[in-house]
Amino acid sequence: MNALKQALLIAAKEWRLLWRNPQALASLFLMPAAFLLVMSFALKNSLTTDDIALPHSAWVIEDPSPLATTWSGDWIEHKGGQRLGTRAQLQQALRAGSVEAGVIVREGWVGAPGQPRADRIELWLSHRIHPASAARLRAEINASMLQLQVKGRVAAAGPFASLLLEGAAPTEGLAAPGAMSIRYLYEIESGRNMTAVQQSVPAWLIFGMFFVVIPLAGVLIQERNDGTLARLVTFGVSPSAILGGKLVAFMALNWVQLLLMLLVGRWLVPALGGDALYLELKAGWFLLMVFATSASAVGLALLIAANTRSFDHAAALGGGANVVLAALAGIMVPRPLMPAAMQNVSEWSPMGWALDGMQAVFLGAPDAALVVPKVLLLLAFAAACLLLSLRPLRQLDR
Amino acid sequence: MVSTTPEPRSVLLVAEGLRYQYRRQTTPALDDVGFSLARGEIVGLLGPNGSGKTTLIHLMNGLRSAQAGSVRSMGAPVVAWVPQEYAFYPQLTCGENLQFFVSLLAISAADRGARLEHVVSACVLHEFVDRQARHCSGGVRRRLNIAIGLLQKPDLLLLDEPTVGVDPQTRLFLLDQVRQLAQQGAAVVYATHYMEEAMAVCDEILILDHGRVMVSGDLPTLLKGNTASGPFANLEALFMHHTRRSLRD
Repeated sequence: MNALKQALLIAAKEWRLLWRNPQALASLFLMPAAFLLVMSFALKNSLTTDDIALPHSAWVIEDPSPLATTWSGDWIEHKGGQRLGTRAQLQQALRAGSVEAGVIVREGWVGAPGQPRADRIELWLSHRIHPASAARLRAEINASMLQLQVKGRVAAAGPFASLLLEGAAPTEGLAAPGAMSIRYLYEIESGRNMTAVQQSVPAWLIFGMFFVVIPLAGVLIQERNDGTLARLVTFGVSPSAILGGKLVAFMALNWVQLLLMLLVGRWLVPALGGDALYLELKAGWFLLMVFATSASAVGLALLIAANTRSFDHAAALGGGANVVLAALAGIMVPRPLMPAAMQNVSEWSPMGWALDGMQAVFLGAPDAALVVPKVLLLLAFAAACLLLSLRPLRQLDR
Repeated sequence: MVSTTPEPRSVLLVAEGLRYQYRRQTTPALDDVGFSLARGEIVGLLGPNGSGKTTLIHLMNGLRSAQAGSVRSMGAPVVAWVPQEYAFYPQLTCGENLQFFVSLLAISAADRGARLEHVVSACVLHEFVDRQARHCSGGVRRRLNIAIGLLQKPDLLLLDEPTVGVDPQTRLFLLDQVRQLAQQGAAVVYATHYMEEAMAVCDEILILDHGRVMVSGDLPTLLKGNTASGPFANLEALFMHHTRRSLRD
């Protein structure tokens, strides 16, 4: 038999083996397909400039001039939005999610007669606003103010307007002085600037914590397959004690991961030229969120480990599930880049709950109304996972 | 099974009418199985693959509960089980494995120390206590597997094919250990496919097939046979007579 025929026989055998390996098939086909599906929806609006809608906005008019009132009224009439009385009301609306952006027209907005000043405009943005949407709002406000300036100049020039404008340089008289200030809600509430590291540490910490499924499944499946689990039972150890022991050990491991991530964010990132992680966090909220996230991560890992028969199976299922959950939750694609429907879906993923709570804590302005429901959801999810893990552990005749 | 021994030993466990059927199976793994075990007795549990040996062991060690019938124990005997697999943690050293399992027992610290010392000595593990189990030979791992069972100081030791894959030296050593344990008053159930081992070490034989007891009793009596069959040249002939030559699933 020549080498070519042997190679073909081996190739045929490889295909047969592959066909009978569901874990490998899932890793090769199912996981990329699921990931593609999620990412296609998550990034639906981020790579195109078509259909970028103006955000739903609210206006707070602090400038007493009639022009400010007229301008904002025209805007709301033609482009939508609402008017609010105070900054506090605007902040509340942004936090509640009833508006995505706020436009504050500060006192002194109309400087010289008929000349609005961009540096007297503040844009307040929610965490969830799509960057392109915010950019469109900013551009349209600037354009609208330019129109006001032109109208003002023309009105001031009277019948000689054309002579005046022909002699003017392209920017003369049209450029609004300064630029509008743009602040995100968390910057307003925490008094700090948002940095990439402040966003990234909680997101990737959560991702890492949920990957505890790999070592946990390795141990549990080995114990089950070689009879050690059954032997522990004959030593008088109950399944709930086995589960509890693993929960404690792997939650402790999550805390070690947390420590490492904090060290990287605090010291390594700035050492390489990035921003330092701000660590003056509210300790109680921080500990509560880490605990709930960890319980949820280990609970899910136990559920997967207890219901799979081989390490390959657990690694494929656990790894794939984590990647898809992370994509859904806004860890891989920031939620503001997702379309609204995907943002709603991500509200219902455990990593999404963890991300919402953790980011509130890491951004320094945790709000009980936001954090407590997320903590409760995470703990309920952990409890459900643990309950569903107990049953297969009790069935040693699997 | 023990009823014909000349000097009756104290009965430790009596099983009657045991039945167990796995989910999704159409026939029971065990059906109407009964036997008794006495202290100091070594019972050879023989049967083809799938005959119900491991299921019977699991009913005795409490991992499963019989769906019919009963297992009655005299007093509260300590039952230890040594599975066929290496049921310990290969990444831990032999010493760490023993330490972990003994720490699960509700006994005093002094007793723990004494039991550790005893099993390390009995299973000749001194030079391996600091070596990771995964780096030990098959023979050492078999000894460690048994040592963990002995930590419980059992009244009844259930051995499920304890000599699979070991060299003749280790096999002889393990058989000596079994004899010593029985001499110290423990009952031993020895499940095996090796007829020569059963002949060498067992006082009593119980042959299972298709979940039923085909024959049981002391070895010399069984070999003599009865009016319908026998005598048999050896245990293998007796075994083949009762279980036939057909291959099993």
